[in-house]
Amino acid sequence: MTREEANRLLHAYIDGELDPAKTLELEAHLAENPSVRAACERLREMSAAIRDKADYHAAPAWLEARVRAAIPAGPENVSARPAWWRWLKPAGSFAVAADWMRPAASFAAVALVTWVVALGVMRPGEDERITQEVLASHVRATLANRYYDVASSDQHTVKPWLSARLAFSPPVADLSASGFELAGGRLDYIGAQPVAVLVYKRRAHLIDVFVWPVEAQKSEQTSTRDGFNIEHFAKNGMDYWLVSDLSRSELNDLAQLIAEYSAP
Amino acid sequence: MLAADSVLLYHTDPVPLHKPVSEPKRRFEQLVLPHFDAAYNLARWLTRNDHDAQDVVQEAVLRAFRFFDGLRGEARPWLLSIVRNTFLTWVQVNRPADTVEFDDALVEIIPTDEDGPEIQAARNFDRKMLNEAIAALPLQFREALILRELEDLSYKDIARIVDVPIGTVMSRLARARRLLAESLGATSNISGTQVHK
Repeated sequence: MTREEANRLLHAYIDGELDPAKTLELEAHLAENPSVRAACERLREMSAAIRDKADYHAAPAWLEARVRAAIPAGPENVSARPAWWRWLKPAGSFAVAADWMRPAASFAAVALVTWVVALGVMRPGEDERITQEVLASHVRATLANRYYDVASSDQHTVKPWLSARLAFSPPVADLSASGFELAGGRLDYIGAQPVAVLVYKRRAHLIDVFVWPVEAQKSEQTSTRDGFNIEHFAKNGMDYWLVSDLSRSELNDLAQLIAEYSAP
Repeated sequence: MLAADSVLLYHTDPVPLHKPVSEPKRRFEQLVLPHFDAAYNLARWLTRNDHDAQDVVQEAVLRAFRFFDGLRGEARPWLLSIVRNTFLTWVQVNRPADTVEFDDALVEIIPTDEDGPEIQAARNFDRKMLNEAIAALPLQFREALILRELEDLSYKDIARIVDVPIGTVMSRLARARRLLAESLGATSNISGTQVHK
């Protein structure tokens, strides 16, 4: 084992994260090299000093009480649904319903929601309406197997294609280095205007990123609908809505990457 | 009335434990809220002040409750990952100037023969100086250090929370300790590392 490697492995060693084979190798190296042994000791002391002296910030009791009180008492997945949802299901079937509702693509439920919206039964707020529309667009694309109008992993192909058909030019990021491959783009009609939809791919998941110009800086929000995660933010004059069955944290990562890319 | 229904259901129609259907609040309180201090500690070290930490934790815990269905495995790393994500979102909205950079080129260490000796005798660290030095670490090193030393989490858990490979956790921790040693032993011979900027 080289000295370089030994120094590199010391951290994993003192953290108890080194595998047995490497541990034996490193210990043999330590036995022969007093200076590495000394470095190891200093590292241990440092770790001990941090554990001993760094502040552990316990939460104030009032904060926990406040948060506890703010947690809804009823079953969230039931109470979060609009009231009409409750009369669609026979009383007492929550457990069963919640179980079949959970799979990622519960298309029937999505169709129901869009149908209800179409009938104008609900009068949701602006954000709520857009949430429904982007979700519907995503599901429609999935059902129809029509993900993009222009299929290309090249941002320099997708961006001009979209710009030529829209009154604005959406930022198109190449995020393949971060594990989000550009798959293509399409057009859609959201919130009474034509918008750009960038389609990214992560493993087997497709992510729709809806983009259009916005005047006011709106607050961001995240939500989960019928197994789909939705992330919304505005950056540098553009509104972004991300919809996918990708995990919340990965979708959040993508949102951050796009936000960084779109920074002025 | 709903709660009563749920209790009844729970007895007549048992569901797997990890799928809370009935009385989610009670189960959330049992499984997740014991880690409220850990959540606060992380948020406090990320935001570096009490007021912002309170906002982030409150938001994170309510968010955690909304996604309680998604809990698999241990509650503490799960809650901490939500705290961290909430913090990142919060930073974008409230402190857009503190753009969060995760540039692991910074992590690269070029070892030399003298690698190591500059880590000072740690028993002499002054408590106040140590806390200030940790608070001054760049975010990705600070969070790795806090999760490892104060929360005593495994590399695997940290990797999951921070969403990077385990190898990156290791190099971030190494870098964190070295940066800390450098800032605490500013007068000592500092060598063996190069920070790429």
